[in-house]
Amino acid sequence: MLVRETGVTLLSISLAFGIGCIILWAGGYSIPAVFANLWKGAFGNKISIGQTLTQATPIIFTSLSFLIAFRCGLFNIGAEGQMYMGAMAAAVVGIYVKLPGVLHVLICLLAAGAVGAAWGWIPGYLKAKRGVNEFVTTMMLSSVAVYFTDLLVAPRMFLHDTRYGSNQTVRVLGTAVLPKLLRPTQVTWAIIIAGCVVLLVWYYLFRTRSGYELRAVGQSPSAAEYGGISVKRKIILSMCLAGFVAGLAGAGEVLGTHTRFISGFSPGYGWDGIAGGLIARAHPVGVLFSAFLMGALRAGSMQVQRSGAAPGDIASVLQGLVIFFVIAPTLIRRLIRWRRR
Amino acid sequence: MNIFTIHLLLRTLRLSSPIALIALGETYSERVGIINVGVEGTAVLGALVSALVSFYTGNAWIAVVAAVIGGGLAGALHALWCIQFRANHVVSGVAVNILVAGLALFITSALWGSRGTSASAPTINAWYIAGSALVIVILSQIFIFRTKWGLRLRVVGEKPEAADTAGINVHRTQYIYTIVNGMLCGLAGAYFFNNLGYFVNGMVGGRGFIGIAAMVIGNYSPIGALGAALLFGFADALQMSLQGYIPSQISLMLPYLLTVLVLAVLIKRAQVPAALGQHYVKQ
Repeated sequence: MLVRETGVTLLSISLAFGIGCIILWAGGYSIPAVFANLWKGAFGNKISIGQTLTQATPIIFTSLSFLIAFRCGLFNIGAEGQMYMGAMAAAVVGIYVKLPGVLHVLICLLAAGAVGAAWGWIPGYLKAKRGVNEFVTTMMLSSVAVYFTDLLVAPRMFLHDTRYGSNQTVRVLGTAVLPKLLRPTQVTWAIIIAGCVVLLVWYYLFRTRSGYELRAVGQSPSAAEYGGISVKRKIILSMCLAGFVAGLAGAGEVLGTHTRFISGFSPGYGWDGIAGGLIARAHPVGVLFSAFLMGALRAGSMQVQRSGAAPGDIASVLQGLVIFFVIAPTLIRRLIRWRRR
Repeated sequence: MNIFTIHLLLRTLRLSSPIALIALGETYSERVGIINVGVEGTAVLGALVSALVSFYTGNAWIAVVAAVIGGGLAGALHALWCIQFRANHVVSGVAVNILVAGLALFITSALWGSRGTSASAPTINAWYIAGSALVIVILSQIFIFRTKWGLRLRVVGEKPEAADTAGINVHRTQYIYTIVNGMLCGLAGAYFFNNLGYFVNGMVGGRGFIGIAAMVIGNYSPIGALGAALLFGFADALQMSLQGYIPSQISLMLPYLLTVLVLAVLIKRAQVPAALGQHYVKQ
């Protein structure tokens, strides 16, 4: 079962890369040069592996965020906004609250999670109580969050760092910083936290009663309701949890990578989480693999761009193609059967 | 602050037209049971294709036709995935959005050397598209509720088994109207290009999702979708008029915030097509 699932996923990725090659060929780019640079940027040396891991870290969180909602039959496509809200909360607590070392980090993480959860609660509540399509509301609230956090750090606003022109806060206190893990790379302790959260989410979904009920709602809301599960409460809970985890992504960026809130810090980690969650087939442990793939594509694409072999955005095209193949398992199975014939 | 002028009204009419087109397209596809959240990406594709074709042929009318065809192809892709490969409808739509977003950045970088922005290209007056949107909505209202084809498409979304028994080809009907949805989104994309004169990443900026919201509020009827689109178009127009008076972040978030508020307040337990999002397997 596991072998077959992995096989189908790997085949999907190969097919996507194959089509990517056709696109590169049609555009007149050198395919070997593009892939050599993609590899070099993602795994070429210590620094580039560090880049891959640094980029993968927030995507682990946002992928988990997507899959927690997905397992409950919901689509949280607003992880980007929940992440920004969480990042802002982490920055505020990191700057203005004075606490000793480890405790300060923990409180910052909790604050980020709580604010992210609150931002996830809104679409969850509207879905459960009013039947409002969460797909649209999470998307809309995502944009609202990006503009709102940008407003808070705009010039003349109280969180703005007056020493610089760009929209950002001052640095968080030293006690709130997540230290670098593998110098000289940018990898911070956030990746360890991400790993722990993967295990927690797995444990919650597959080893607790509440997690089982959440998945039951995702399988069949009517059957779950019949079985005595409050579907509405599970919907709200799963959106809050999704928001919480997405908020942690923001905290990891603020406390680790940047040590301050910078407006527009995310190149789209929230959206990558959708891809990450889908490629992992909504399994928490699979997220480690899919987020690593996304991180490698991001790190590699920068090198592709720098080298001039092709526009770095070929990586985003590849990402889109991978999803198309991963979500159509019947397609892959048909292809396999067709080959056997 | 003289913002409530005739300009605001005209702007509202104009800005609501792409939202109305997308909402109408979604009405068609959801009426046959296919959810398509790829409308956002499909509109982006329409705008991109408009810019490309207009840039290389110099003829903006051909570009509009190409955008409609491009949108139709995106609709066909989505239909293929939903119907043939039984992918989850929402997931497939998300994939369309992500793929088009990547393609838009890649193609603009490759052809014009600037990431996410095209060169300027000839345009038509965007009012032509806004005007045709109005006509298409009214004709669709008649088509869906007053013709036998309209009845057939509604039956497919409500009771595919019954439609099948009555000799209607369920899958073919679903293909047709999902492609129609794509074509309307492509036309909406052409509006965005012709409104600005070039393609820029983010020019659709969530209007596709707002279109879905308009479809929901419009309760699966073209006229209703138009009404909701006018409301959102007004928010957009107001947002533009307010720029310079309030921080740009607040005016920019206004349409999105309003969409959530309107959905929360105005939503009724709508007459959702019974077979929405399901995969019909012929017995």
